[in-house]
Amino acid sequence: MDFCGKQVKADCEQLLKRFQRTQSVRFEIFARIWREMKFSQIFYGTVNHEKRKFSRLILDVASVFFLPPFSFQIRVGGLYLLYSLYQCQNASPSEQIRLALKDWADVKMFEKDAIVAQHFDVVYILQQLMFCKAFHFTATPSLLTYNKKRKVERSPMHEDFMERVSRPQELVNIELLEEMDNIHQHYENLKASTLSLTSAQQDPSVSLIRKNLVPQLRNTVVDFYNWQKRKDSVDEEEDSSEGPSSQQECSKRAGLLASIKSKAYGQAAEVSKSRRHRQVEVDFTSNEARSAPTLGRSRITKPSLKARTSENLHISGDLWTEAMTTTKISRLAQLESARDDKPKQYKKFKWS
Amino acid sequence: MAASEQTTDANTNVPEYEYPDVNTKPFHIGSFKKEWLSRLKPSDYSYEEADEDAFHANFAREMGVSAETMAELKAVCSVDSLRCHPEDQQPDTEVVPSDPTLRTLVQRKERQDHRASLKKIKKNRHDLYADELERLTIGRKPETVTDMVPEGEIILTINVYYPAVFDKFNYIRPHMTLLMTGSHSLAELRDAVCCVSDLQVCGEFSNTPDVAPEFISKDHYKSAFFFFEGVFYNDMRFPECQDISSTTIEWAKSHNFPSYSQAKMEDTLLEDLKVKVGFPYLYCHQGDCEHLVIITDVRLAHKNDCLDKNLYPLLTHKHRVLTQKCAVCHVFIGRWYTTNDQFAPSDPCLFCDKCFRMLHYDAQGNKLGEFLAYPYVDRGAFN
Repeated sequence: MDFCGKQVKADCEQLLKRFQRTQSVRFEIFARIWREMKFSQIFYGTVNHEKRKFSRLILDVASVFFLPPFSFQIRVGGLYLLYSLYQCQNASPSEQIRLALKDWADVKMFEKDAIVAQHFDVVYILQQLMFCKAFHFTATPSLLTYNKKRKVERSPMHEDFMERVSRPQELVNIELLEEMDNIHQHYENLKASTLSLTSAQQDPSVSLIRKNLVPQLRNTVVDFYNWQKRKDSVDEEEDSSEGPSSQQECSKRAGLLASIKSKAYGQAAEVSKSRRHRQVEVDFTSNEARSAPTLGRSRITKPSLKARTSENLHISGDLWTEAMTTTKISRLAQLESARDDKPKQYKKFKWS
Repeated sequence: MAASEQTTDANTNVPEYEYPDVNTKPFHIGSFKKEWLSRLKPSDYSYEEADEDAFHANFAREMGVSAETMAELKAVCSVDSLRCHPEDQQPDTEVVPSDPTLRTLVQRKERQDHRASLKKIKKNRHDLYADELERLTIGRKPETVTDMVPEGEIILTINVYYPAVFDKFNYIRPHMTLLMTGSHSLAELRDAVCCVSDLQVCGEFSNTPDVAPEFISKDHYKSAFFFFEGVFYNDMRFPECQDISSTTIEWAKSHNFPSYSQAKMEDTLLEDLKVKVGFPYLYCHQGDCEHLVIITDVRLAHKNDCLDKNLYPLLTHKHRVLTQKCAVCHVFIGRWYTTNDQFAPSDPCLFCDKCFRMLHYDAQGNKLGEFLAYPYVDRGAFN
């Protein structure tokens, strides 16, 4: 089933691209695009045991779009896609959608955002899937068979599908600012109380910190956020992401986003949009970005023993052809005349 | 401290990738199960079909939607809105529709046309029997309730690979795929693995071909161990079993390796293991027959799975090997392996039972000529 992986991914991306252009999160619109593209037909033509394997492949491809780091609209599209594929698949009994433990928090957060924004069809579809027991609660999003690849293919993730970078605001959120303010106050009070005993209050050697660190930090982050909004409103006509959730994300999402983004961009650590003009630094020490050994270094392959032998050794005629073909034990008991020297040839189908 | 929320709390019970799409970090299976069960409502993983009307009523109440909105929602999100063909024309789902626009379908159509153009279709044995085992067992319910796999039980998918002595495909295609529940012990996993080396008979039998061999290797060499995450799990059920891992452990100590520990196979449940998913581990039996073992999947039980506890460990996939036939008739599988044989065309040579006796013994059963004969168990004996 690996040979149709790329095509399946391209078809799903096509569907989601169309959905993104409509700027809506309604299931009606998604269903319209689905009917226009006649997407249910993607299951037709599979024979016998391929049905199950294909369902597994396409559900795995589609579940990627349901999870971060994609934007809210794409994630809604991913959810609708999963629902539609699950209902229209032809494997019976049906193949389930895999949900890993580490992604459960993201799914719950997504559901909460949808409820807050009153997108009833999103919530209905998600709860309908839970009701139909469409999920397998697993350890990993896909089956793992220690499939180490020499050259890891990094398919470029669609940038337009991604969510706007919001790590500064996630790092410096309200709780952090309050905590810092608290500590700042404590420090000031302690300093005042110890120094009141001595008369060294105005001594410059004890003023070691910035007085207005917390307000400054807050202002910088707010400026960044406004700059981002301005920049995006120049690019797009309408902000398609869910507004209220982007500023006050919990830090767990930040960590997840950071790790997934760094993986998506290969070994280069993700740089925010404001720094794109600078050289992207390649981070060899980052543990999460390292996936397979020797990424990028091309291996100098020595020609195999078989190749070297055939190059250097020359055996003439019949002896050579005999040496090359495999010995057939059955020939020992066959009549000379019954032997079929011409090898049978079957046309093999090449999956492009 | 609130600041600690900034760094994700390393909860080692949540499986994380060590290398993306290759394997995870080690995690305790029993704790993983508890983590999932603590996050889900019992109705989420139960086998029962819940009532649909109750679901809609609950939804309407929780979201605060009116009855008309609810009805509209139901209509819009129903499966009917995904139908891509007119209601009265049922399409043939076995063929690719003409004029496909989706890239997957275009590719599939090419293959369909290619197949149609072939005069003779080669029957692929692997395709024919690919899902045979699964078809037999999926969705099977037991007769008694006590035999049912409990809700919320963990199911592991384990791939066992060929021993390294086999030549083709030994590193990719699993020999067999087993499904096991978390409450099975490692000893049960061991018993479920069938390897031909267990059936080998030692000894030369040219003088006494009719004497049935007294024992097979499985009965003679009972020791075995599993190696997971630095712990050797030995099979100590029978008095003949020896601790064959002790040699390795002593060698490792003398060579500055991190120290390994030992445990009993029959006392360890799969739930108690701390393992990596997707990472190769070792199963060794017969002293030197080593198999790679990879746990490919760990998940909660689902209503579509085979729910009969008695059928577990469940075989879902078995790789079928070409068997080697007798050198004389090419019909029966070889049972005798001869060397230094003056009658045989090659050294060594395989014979089926009938041809072997006809060639090497006379009507009274006397041995004719010089040869050495060994009973042979073909690799495909389990097909």
